[in-house]
Amino acid sequence: MEKLLRDKKAIAVFVLPAFILFTLILFVPICQSVYYSFCDYDALTSPKFVGLKNYQNLIVDDTMKIAVKNSLFFLIYSCVTQLVMGLILAGLLTNIEKGRNVFKNIIYLPCVLSSAALGLLWMFIFSPKLGINQILAKFGMQGPLWLMDIKGYITLPMWVIAFVALWQYVGQSMMLYMAQISGISKSLYEASYIDGCNKVKSFWHITLPLIKPMVGTAMSLNAIGSLKFFDLIFNMTEGGPNHKTEVLATHLYQQGFKYFKYGYASAIGTVLLILCLIMTFVINKLFQSENYEM
Amino acid sequence: MKKKVLSILLTVAMTASLLAGCGSAGSGAANSGAADAGAADSAAADAGSTGDAAASGDVEEITWMFWDDLEATEDLISKGYKEVIDRFNQDYAGKYHVTPVTTNLEEYYTKLNALVASGEAPDVFIVSPGPNLTTYVEPGVAADLTPYLDADWKGSFSSDAVFAQQTYDGKIYAVPLNIAAACVFYNKEMFEEAGAAVPKTWDELIDACEKIKAKGHTPITISAGTAWCLSMLAGYLCDREGVDLKKIDSGEESWNNPKTLDAANKMIELSQYFQPTAAGDTNDVATAGLYNGEAAILIQGSWAIGQINGENPDFEQKCGVFQFPEIPGGNDPNRVIAKSDSLAMSATTKHPEASIALMKYFTDDTAQKYTAEVGGKIPVTNVQYDATKAPAQLADVMDIFSNASSTFGFYNESLFSTEAGSTFDDNMVAIYLGEKTPEQAFDDLDAWYAANKK
Repeated sequence: MEKLLRDKKAIAVFVLPAFILFTLILFVPICQSVYYSFCDYDALTSPKFVGLKNYQNLIVDDTMKIAVKNSLFFLIYSCVTQLVMGLILAGLLTNIEKGRNVFKNIIYLPCVLSSAALGLLWMFIFSPKLGINQILAKFGMQGPLWLMDIKGYITLPMWVIAFVALWQYVGQSMMLYMAQISGISKSLYEASYIDGCNKVKSFWHITLPLIKPMVGTAMSLNAIGSLKFFDLIFNMTEGGPNHKTEVLATHLYQQGFKYFKYGYASAIGTVLLILCLIMTFVINKLFQSENYEM
Repeated sequence: MKKKVLSILLTVAMTASLLAGCGSAGSGAANSGAADAGAADSAAADAGSTGDAAASGDVEEITWMFWDDLEATEDLISKGYKEVIDRFNQDYAGKYHVTPVTTNLEEYYTKLNALVASGEAPDVFIVSPGPNLTTYVEPGVAADLTPYLDADWKGSFSSDAVFAQQTYDGKIYAVPLNIAAACVFYNKEMFEEAGAAVPKTWDELIDACEKIKAKGHTPITISAGTAWCLSMLAGYLCDREGVDLKKIDSGEESWNNPKTLDAANKMIELSQYFQPTAAGDTNDVATAGLYNGEAAILIQGSWAIGQINGENPDFEQKCGVFQFPEIPGGNDPNRVIAKSDSLAMSATTKHPEASIALMKYFTDDTAQKYTAEVGGKIPVTNVQYDATKAPAQLADVMDIFSNASSTFGFYNESLFSTEAGSTFDDNMVAIYLGEKTPEQAFDDLDAWYAANKK
């Protein structure tokens, strides 16, 4: 086998299928989409080159401003909360003896369920006629319009959706951190206890530095996931009321598939792609660390 | 050596299977076409003894796209369409066969546009007249139906006027199936209880709302979550104020003018009587508010009759209908918003005869009779129907419609593009939500027109 892998032709043969597939279904469409972003294109007639016009329109588009604001809010909110909650849960679960697997499965379960179904479920829970507000009404309280309120810089529906997203995806961060934590040698902890550390201190001085690379990975995944976030929002509010919960992906969808403005939608897609690349780069820089022997 | 040969063989096999996968994805239509032909051949070969099987190879298969789930729906009009499809498939068994492609209303145009863009447009599809239809007429997606209509079909329609919204440069691109008029539905019991009279003018409407509110009921149920519902109210108010939409849309007048501002202020005045969740309620939720007895008034098109009576048959007798009230000193109060469901045929269909045959089934006497007697919509042909069988509300709607001096379309469907319509809707919702003053909203509309109207 090793001999075979030294043969350049053999390597090429192995790599070729994946390379062709990658090029055909990913690289070519991305390039096409970037080209369309400079065109007036409705998919029914052939694209007409218009230069930077789509990007100029993006700058003055009010919905785009809301979408960028919401996407950035979502990015910051989920990076911070998933990091904190994921770490806390991972720290707790690696330290309990009984029921670890049960809790792990319960917390991870929403990750494997369909976002569309969960979106509908939570929409019902927050619906004024069905869910939480009916329970509150039993105690004589009037709940807010969870998914319809429009007051504030970041509206209440955005906070609600961000909370649901945290609930759904925190299990994934937790699993990543747990995997990394369980790889840390017990002897390090034992040594720290002998030196007088308590559990909190050893978490701070041993666990955290050693899982730093994983924090970087989990955060990049998180950042990209939250920038291109679509399904929960589309199922819970469809970007409403009046575009107040629009994010980049829902705005792109509307422009492309509702108004046939594929050129403009491609421009939004290009902005989204660039944002994702920048975020990955920044996070990788922030969490660059040496790999310790564990 | 053996290992090397084996590994090379395996690699080749893997690569070939991957490429085969690519190939069939890339030229799916051609391949499946070939496969179909093959299947037909083998069917014919097998059919030495059974003639029927050979015939099944010649069945022309077409698709029909529609905005409701035919299996799950409670809507009576949709159920009627399902009957048409079943009847067509039964009558033409062995010759034509139609398969419905269904979505929900909100997703309909998204999915249709995606199919059109990928070159797989359905043979026949339902479409709203106005900019939606224009979207398909201009790039040549919808076929010209004039020759088929002129042949032997047009005579069965009640008048040429039913094609007004479907005609472009003298050519007809879609066939209307029914006409619905936008009216005001109300709960007779609630009105009686509150001692409110059926309002004829704006002040009487406010008075009725006030009385109903005093009794502890929600006066009006409306959806701002589904923007066109609120926009329909705004459209009625603008028209009653005497707004000339054609002049605004063509740029002769600006959106920001005293009449539109008056209309918007009236909408704000009326909004204090809306249910508290109107901002996010969808059309279905708002309509349910009326037939579940949560609110007294619903401003909706007569297409809602099928939904109301289908979901709560007991409500039919309690449900009254009146004409949208007059604004004294304003425009003609007998103008009515009318809308029709229309069928268009794909210009690229390989089966025009089958498609036309299907469309004729939608406008034949059986279907049109059902439209009136069960669905509660106004038929487009001269069919005789039994008025006593029709929903109670249809008689009122027919009254309003026959007394109408003229009709006009939805505001959002009467502007130059679908997006212009959505921009109008969004600004009306923004006024209702208090995000913008009427002046700001109409200034924004003027600015949008300046930037987007070519």
